[in-house]
Amino acid sequence: MELSTSMHIAQGIHGIAFGMVLFLIASGLNVIFGMMGILNLAHGAFFMLSAYFCYQVIAWTGNFWIALILAPVFTALVGIFVERFFIRKVQVMGPLGELILTLGIAMVILGGVKTFWGTENLAVAVPPVLQGMVSLGGMDYPVYRLFMIALALVVLGIMGLLLYKTRLGKIVRAAVSDREMVNALGINIPVVFMLVFGTGIWMAGVAGVAIAPILTVFPGLADQVGMYAFIVVVTGGLGSLKGAFIVSIIFGLLSSYGVQFLSQLAPVLMVGFMALVLAIRPHGLFGVKE
Amino acid sequence: MKFIGKSVLIVLCVFSFLFLNIYNPSTALAQKSEVHTKLIQANYEFDVDKMGDMSGFDPATVKFPKGDTIRIAVIASFSGPAAIMGDIFWAAVSSAAYDINQRGGIMVDGKKKFVEVLKGDHMSRIDQCKRVAERMVLKEKVHVLVGTDGSHLMKVINQVANQHKVIAQNITSTSDDLMNATNFSRFAFMSCLSSSQVGRGLGYYYGQIRKKERKFYIICQDYAFGRSIADSFKQGLKEYYPKAKIVGEDYHKLFTTDFAPYLEKIRAAKPDVIFTGNWAPDGPNLFKQARQMGLKQPFANLFLDDPNFLHEVGPESASGNIQITQYGVDVPAFKTPEQIKYYKTWHDLWANKWKTEPYNTRLFEHGSGNLGSYRQQVYWLLSVIERAGSTDPEKIIAVWENDTYRLPTGKVLKMRACDHRVIQDLHVVEYAPADKQKVSMNIPPYYWYKDAASTGHTWRIPAEKVLPWMDPKLDRCADRDEWGE
Repeated sequence: MELSTSMHIAQGIHGIAFGMVLFLIASGLNVIFGMMGILNLAHGAFFMLSAYFCYQVIAWTGNFWIALILAPVFTALVGIFVERFFIRKVQVMGPLGELILTLGIAMVILGGVKTFWGTENLAVAVPPVLQGMVSLGGMDYPVYRLFMIALALVVLGIMGLLLYKTRLGKIVRAAVSDREMVNALGINIPVVFMLVFGTGIWMAGVAGVAIAPILTVFPGLADQVGMYAFIVVVTGGLGSLKGAFIVSIIFGLLSSYGVQFLSQLAPVLMVGFMALVLAIRPHGLFGVKE
Repeated sequence: MKFIGKSVLIVLCVFSFLFLNIYNPSTALAQKSEVHTKLIQANYEFDVDKMGDMSGFDPATVKFPKGDTIRIAVIASFSGPAAIMGDIFWAAVSSAAYDINQRGGIMVDGKKKFVEVLKGDHMSRIDQCKRVAERMVLKEKVHVLVGTDGSHLMKVINQVANQHKVIAQNITSTSDDLMNATNFSRFAFMSCLSSSQVGRGLGYYYGQIRKKERKFYIICQDYAFGRSIADSFKQGLKEYYPKAKIVGEDYHKLFTTDFAPYLEKIRAAKPDVIFTGNWAPDGPNLFKQARQMGLKQPFANLFLDDPNFLHEVGPESASGNIQITQYGVDVPAFKTPEQIKYYKTWHDLWANKWKTEPYNTRLFEHGSGNLGSYRQQVYWLLSVIERAGSTDPEKIIAVWENDTYRLPTGKVLKMRACDHRVIQDLHVVEYAPADKQKVSMNIPPYYWYKDAASTGHTWRIPAEKVLPWMDPKLDRCADRDEWGE
């Protein structure tokens, strides 16, 4: 394959891989907002916390796969605890109370990781089986980045199945439409929403583990990646999983082809795209006008 | 007989010719070149034997006397993405101050005074930096502001120092602009190396010593420092290696997550060396992702020395990387018992006493590299205050300008009087696996890190080849030579 052709294809795959990571983070945020109406400012912090859990589980077990299972679960448990004992109590205060609370939770998580793990950069290695390159039509591509794409698709598939093919999914969707009616049918809505919150945090947790081997784990991880999640969610439309998916891929491709063709402008392309979308559709690409 | 004599002579000539070709004379000359005469004698020499009892020092728990003290504020990122920089500065400054206090303090203004070190967190933000620097001066009444990670932030600290007439010491920010005609302040001292020196030093190494790689790709952070260090590298190549070719350059935003698109461009450009001025986390992330994507080129760098990440990527991966450093010394690292004692004082504390993160991690193990340099620069500051016999900034300025100071490593620093920039030899370090680190680490266990690449061979870049840039528009430097004389 010609060098320039293979480079352009590789840039496309890089864009998709990055987009998938963005989607993993943003979709969790979107699930929580779309179903519970909570704009969780601590979402990036949960993502970071999962990366730290991943580091810790690997330090204990030496096994990335165990970390991939346990770290998002631990993070989700923390999320469930936060929802049960804090967020639920401020919901009567409306969105402002939730925003202030989740911002505070983000700061507590940041302080916590600095206390437990310190401020230095911690390393998570790519598991041996995912190291190296694979040949794709004459072009070498890192196995781990393909794994990230596959992982995001699996999570997307699980979410789709859960929401649209299970009884639990039906209850959740019904609860979103008419909370009181579902409650009257004898379904414990607070528990359902607690599980929804936990699931959203679990998705952030999966993203945290997935990204740990290509970044360093450090207290700035939430700032580094968390903001992207909000840009994706706002641009895709608050509450729209489809919007989050499509915008994540667009952002990923804008990022990689931007670097390729408009290197100096690459960092502002995402923000420029968001501004353009919001100027035309203030509620986002797939958002529903309230 | 005559025939035999001629034959021997011819054979000798042939062998001499071959020897000169195999044995690269430029390498030998560079290694054995003499230290410049202006950097042989020093006004003051650090005396390891006069160090105080450091056995109680722990950067995580150290407490400083309060009251009528010599007050120094460390202004750095103690939170946010670059929080580790604050920890590094704190360890460096607090250890030097602790040592001086253990010696009984410093005689200033007719009285022995202890040193008190305060933390000021600028959170990597300009507005916060100004606020905290002003608070340190106006409320805490500090005598010296020491900083900082980020030239844009150091500029703010220098401005505050100038406004309130206190000393500012820059121990790490390398932008040349900090001391140009526009920004120069009599109260600000830049005791660290500068961007122009980094670029010229690496240019000198590749063009005059190494003479091998020709194609370079530049990738730096997109802000004042990243641009400045990239320009200086280009300038250095132009000056010392005209045959070199820049095959590409990119500037990415701070704290970039995904470097893959940049690395794909680098792969296509096929450089021999990748130059980066990136600091953590961008530096390690760039390098790590490059290796994950199969790029095997060595990185010429300034900050890719974090042992945690070097362990993660493994010894083979980072071997061959080239780093320019102000801490470096001619190999081997330890030439005198005093140097070993100085090293062990730190290392033994790390091994036996420090139990709190991050100070118990590998990053703090050796007290060398950038951390070691910061520490030595603060010792210089304290020596200047001691010799000034006062915390009066005018008296400190009078002593520091043109001062020469010998570090524990043997190297001499000279503060150029007209623009307050330091003149010093620099070193280029080649990273090597454990078995090749003994060329540098000449005491047991004969390696710096068993499972990571670290300092192997080093090459001295003579000070006269990398004199700091001097702004011709700065009146104080008019009619001065590059040594400021």
